[in-house]
Amino acid sequence: MSADTVVIGAGLAGLTCALRLAEGGRKVAVVAAGAGSLHLGGATIDILGYDPGVVASPAAVLGPFIRAHPEHPYAQVPPSLWAGALEWLRARCEPLPLMGSMDQNLMLPTAAGALKPSAFAPESVAAGDLSTGGKVALVSFSALKDFYPKLAAANLNRAQPGSAERIEARAIELLGTVAGEADPGTLRLARAFEEAPFRAEVIARLEGRIEPGERVGFPAVLGLYRNPEVVAELAERIGAAVFEIPTLPPSVPGMRLHALLSRALKKARGRVVLGAPVVSSASYNGRLQSVSTDTGARRSSHEARHFVVATGGVSAGGVTLDSSWAFKESALDLPLDGVPPPGTERFCPDVFGSHPASQVGVAVDEEWRPLDAGGRVVYDNVRVCGATLAGAEPHREKSGNGISLVTGYAVADAILRS
Amino acid sequence: MKTVEAEVLVIGGGATGAGVLRDVCMRGYEGLLVERSDLAMGTSGRFHGLLHSGGRYAVKDPSSAKECMDENRVLRRIAADCIEDTSGYFVTTEKDDPSYSDLFIDGCLKTGIPVEEVSVSAALAAEPRLSPRISRVLQVPDAAVDAWKTVWGCVRSAQDHGGRALPYHKVTGILREDDRVLGAVAEDRAGDEVHIRAGFTINASGAWAASIASLAGCEGITILPGRGIMIAMGHRLVDTVINRCQMPTDGDILVPIRTVSVIGTTDEEASDPDDLAILQEEVDQMLDDGETLVPGFKQARALRVWAGVRPLFKDSKAEASSTRDVSRSHKLVDHRERDGVDGFLTITGGKFTTFRRMAEDTVDAMCAQLKGERACHTHEEPLPDSEERTYYTLGSRLSAREEALHDEQIICECELIGRRALENAMQRRGSFDLDDIRRTLRLGMGPCQGGFCIYRSAGILHSLQSMDAGTATTSLKDFLQERWKGLHPILYGDGLRQAKLDDWIFQGLLDVEHLPGRAGIKKAGGEKA
Amino acid sequence: MTTDIRASLDHCVKCTICETYCPVSAATPLFPGPKYVGPQAERFRSAGAPGSSGSVDESLDYCSGCGICSQVCPQGVKIAEINARARARMKAQRGVPLRDRIIARPSASARFATPVAPLANRALASPVLRYLAEALMGVHRKAPLPRFASRTFQTRQRRHSSADSSLPTSAKVVYFHGCGVNFFEPRLGEMAVAVLERNGFEVIVPPQDCCGLPLQSNGLFSDARAYVQRLASNLAPYARAGIPIVSTSTSCSLMLKREAHEILGEDSEDLAVVSEQMYDICELLAGLLGRGELDTRFQPVSLTIPYHAPCQQRGHGIGSPALDLLELIPGLEVIEQDAQCCGIAGTYGLKKEKYDIAMAVGRPLFESISELGASLAACDSETCRWQIAHATGVPVVHPIELLHRAYVGEQ
Repeated sequence: MSADTVVIGAGLAGLTCALRLAEGGRKVAVVAAGAGSLHLGGATIDILGYDPGVVASPAAVLGPFIRAHPEHPYAQVPPSLWAGALEWLRARCEPLPLMGSMDQNLMLPTAAGALKPSAFAPESVAAGDLSTGGKVALVSFSALKDFYPKLAAANLNRAQPGSAERIEARAIELLGTVAGEADPGTLRLARAFEEAPFRAEVIARLEGRIEPGERVGFPAVLGLYRNPEVVAELAERIGAAVFEIPTLPPSVPGMRLHALLSRALKKARGRVVLGAPVVSSASYNGRLQSVSTDTGARRSSHEARHFVVATGGVSAGGVTLDSSWAFKESALDLPLDGVPPPGTERFCPDVFGSHPASQVGVAVDEEWRPLDAGGRVVYDNVRVCGATLAGAEPHREKSGNGISLVTGYAVADAILRS
Repeated sequence: MKTVEAEVLVIGGGATGAGVLRDVCMRGYEGLLVERSDLAMGTSGRFHGLLHSGGRYAVKDPSSAKECMDENRVLRRIAADCIEDTSGYFVTTEKDDPSYSDLFIDGCLKTGIPVEEVSVSAALAAEPRLSPRISRVLQVPDAAVDAWKTVWGCVRSAQDHGGRALPYHKVTGILREDDRVLGAVAEDRAGDEVHIRAGFTINASGAWAASIASLAGCEGITILPGRGIMIAMGHRLVDTVINRCQMPTDGDILVPIRTVSVIGTTDEEASDPDDLAILQEEVDQMLDDGETLVPGFKQARALRVWAGVRPLFKDSKAEASSTRDVSRSHKLVDHRERDGVDGFLTITGGKFTTFRRMAEDTVDAMCAQLKGERACHTHEEPLPDSEERTYYTLGSRLSAREEALHDEQIICECELIGRRALENAMQRRGSFDLDDIRRTLRLGMGPCQGGFCIYRSAGILHSLQSMDAGTATTSLKDFLQERWKGLHPILYGDGLRQAKLDDWIFQGLLDVEHLPGRAGIKKAGGEKA
Repeated sequence: MTTDIRASLDHCVKCTICETYCPVSAATPLFPGPKYVGPQAERFRSAGAPGSSGSVDESLDYCSGCGICSQVCPQGVKIAEINARARARMKAQRGVPLRDRIIARPSASARFATPVAPLANRALASPVLRYLAEALMGVHRKAPLPRFASRTFQTRQRRHSSADSSLPTSAKVVYFHGCGVNFFEPRLGEMAVAVLERNGFEVIVPPQDCCGLPLQSNGLFSDARAYVQRLASNLAPYARAGIPIVSTSTSCSLMLKREAHEILGEDSEDLAVVSEQMYDICELLAGLLGRGELDTRFQPVSLTIPYHAPCQQRGHGIGSPALDLLELIPGLEVIEQDAQCCGIAGTYGLKKEKYDIAMAVGRPLFESISELGASLAACDSETCRWQIAHATGVPVVHPIELLHRAYVGEQ
């Protein structure tokens, strides 16, 4: 197979990059070991949540943050690109509008009842913003084992954001099976919500139980792809604002975002091959010529002018550590930055601490090309984006999708310009 | 200050203590057991789960070997539900001296351990992951035993006979009047003092026996803690216990126990029985030793590493004492003879396999001191749930799950724990600590190490026990921290990716890190961080 | 290799991605999902000789073997393969119903049916006989059984030789036609040969029989091995001579490319060389296209057609060569379907207890095709074509048929 660009990895970074290139008229092939992490991810675009205290405004702290962390992926993103990347994603999320701004983090309730700072979220999730407090009734189904409204409500009541209006949270549990099933799971429940009789039953059971001024929060199961209609109907018939709280994987909001992006990619004639991990590559004169994927059958060779490594870092197997304690970039064996020297701590003894091994990744130049230990570009036509970049701890600082989105967009930009 | 009374006080909630409590109660005494943490948090909960055939000692220590084989038979009769009849192979690898296997056979025959030669090809057909470089295979009746289940089984048996057990009661003093021990003082989980008055006290605290004995003024007993690490691998690489056919050494055994395989162990003298440090070199060595038995071991997934201490007994008053040296494997100290102190016995050393026998010897000695011989029946009566005398099989949770597939939720998917079993365990234990539940059910002990089930369990616990959110949150966070201790020294490959996914769930998605816990809750007593 | 399949369960981090894609668990709660029956349950099963520990989980049998789970697993767990092997162990223990033995041997059935094809087809269309077949054998009365051709492709092909064609031949290619073309769709085979000859190939059709895939997916491993070994030895001499082997069934070619090795554990030299030279026909032609060697003189075909890539086509990991080829045809608009699976999964959807599940699995695809109002659809696997045609009433062709039509001109 040959293409203008081969993107390795089908998560948010890979799909963003591929879609932007495809829209720019390039022939793009995405090859990936499997489906990317959007199905796990929640669909919020977290730019920066903690540094280490709560970040109220990502826009305000981004400058100082980058100066303090010059090795962080954000440091490589040209300031002018931020607005473009966010606008681009907003436009593609039109069927499921993306709310929020860089100026002010939303404070979104989590399924455990914490308040998580997040810059952007789909409308149905953003509607749960509690930065200005408010009364919320969290509804769930006893059959859904992945959401505990009592615990969430109790913790929300302890976690006051210091706003003028307090948070007053309570739980409503709807007992019984769902669609006759004792263990439906979030996806099954989301599909159930797309059936009118099920919605009618839920609405009937909530009748008269919602207090004036209360917002009603559900786990993020309000329909799969018909989420806006489902939310609208519930809100209208219940007579209250309705929002969703992302919970354990599979992430239904993540699947919605994935569907938007992958359909758009298909429409723009991009090709996606899953179950195809890159196992070897061939280069010549400082340029990568092709990569080979292993699907268990004969290896397939993919030639291209440009290659993008969007393999998801330590979390997704883009950077591996073996039992001899050697780190490796798994697609192209690129040099890694931030590797803890032998005999030093790879992980902090505190489970929530900063772990050196988590920050291992590929260092890049301003064109996103991989650098070796001496700062030299390894391949002219290879670029790296997303979690495989060195210098970030996305889960701690709450920056995961933000890094994926802006660096994926920036890499596509660099390729389109070249 | 609370006061509790009993005829016999047992200090220590490992296999020995639980066995003593059961025997005491079955002989008609009112028994009470105290344990500073959860049951089987000491050596009993930290070994690899081997029910010895005795083959391991057949050459080096024949009397131990014989004792193991005798008790192996007894435990199969009384605790079948806790035992998986895996059988055991002693294999001669390319690193082992081939002549040892003849000594081994000889030793087994002399000590009454059934031994049979198996062809290498038959062994490899039954165990496809076993190294093809082995040259000889000898089969013995090793088995895998679930320590927590056994210990709790003994306690429940004792409870059926009127006994009581109090976990999370740490003994802080022994009550003495002149030359009699009259019980103990303990501190409970809330920090309150409890006085326990008992006619007889049995110190069954294993590796901590010396410090308990000295609380009674009986000095000079030394227990040398022999620390060893073990690694649980993500699935059953083998279904038969695999031993190296050579003199016992490090890393020479791989035990299939429940859904994992455990490689063990090392032997370092520790300064203190609570020193459970794990060294990088030991981890590397265990992985290499695993590779000798199972090629590809180092690419397989490791779940968790932990350390346990063996109690090695040393008595400065050895000559002067007349300790009941029934067997060299365990040590029974009669303090009346050694220290002139009545109503106090110490039992230590030994192995899990022989716990029942250790208990029998101890209670016999107690009866002798009390001048009332009562017969022991612990070898006859099965533990609760073992009445059917059917062994545990690997597929049992899967087949139980298949029957309930459409009836209830699975909460811990890796270990197939359904909601009803979880709620029952929570209610029975009455504990706020998810780690206690973990030991009861193996919650969160599968590959995802709690990634999915711990949020669910915290939610269920919070609701079921009408708990406050702070306590539930603390329990969740403490579980994660406790788990991390056993994870980070062994984090590579698949385990590292799992840990990152779990980070996404707990930090990225749930943000539990920023949820306040509740101050003033004690962690499991005695353990160093 | 077999230990590698089981060992891959270690890679599972319980992310649930496989479950979100599984078309069977989306359609029925009887199947607890690939994560449950694959890497999770496998930890509770023994690895060794069958019978060493009883097989305990029936829910495994609802896995259709579509293989989507393995394709989407980001960690590389060979979920479908673990399931296939576990199912075989279960069946070895419990016994395989007569029905499965029959439907898993299309070439054996054809031996009886082809000589009396019109009668056989009338019988298969008879509602009364179909009710009986359902009651006695467990083949659903509405199952989309294909119609037998009166003469097999092999028979018809005997009269044909590429040397007779007036076109020059620069290279040879072997055609692995499979049971589908041989007994049910010989016309498709003739079109495939014509398309290859148009592109300068001399097409060799050696003696050949079933690849054993239906036997494998029904857990009859030793029978499957016998078939695949025979087929591999028939095709190996050509493969060794460097002649590519081309197939018009993405399921059968995947069996030889990968599944016989991974699932059955076949590791003979014959199979290895055949596997290395095995190509899906669209894959081969798209390769020519990439080198600028494809004959692109297509006449317009003015149609809008939905295209469904079968699960096992995606399992090749070669992208969508059918789309790359079809977009060369002027006037042809191809609408790539989103749906995962048509539901038939080989013989799965023929079974009485699985038919409704299969139809539920395929419903999103059927609805999408019906909504388009198309008069024709395209799909690279024969059993999928029969299922889609049965459910929607829309005729379904292999993409090669459209290429043929474009080469030859619409009549």
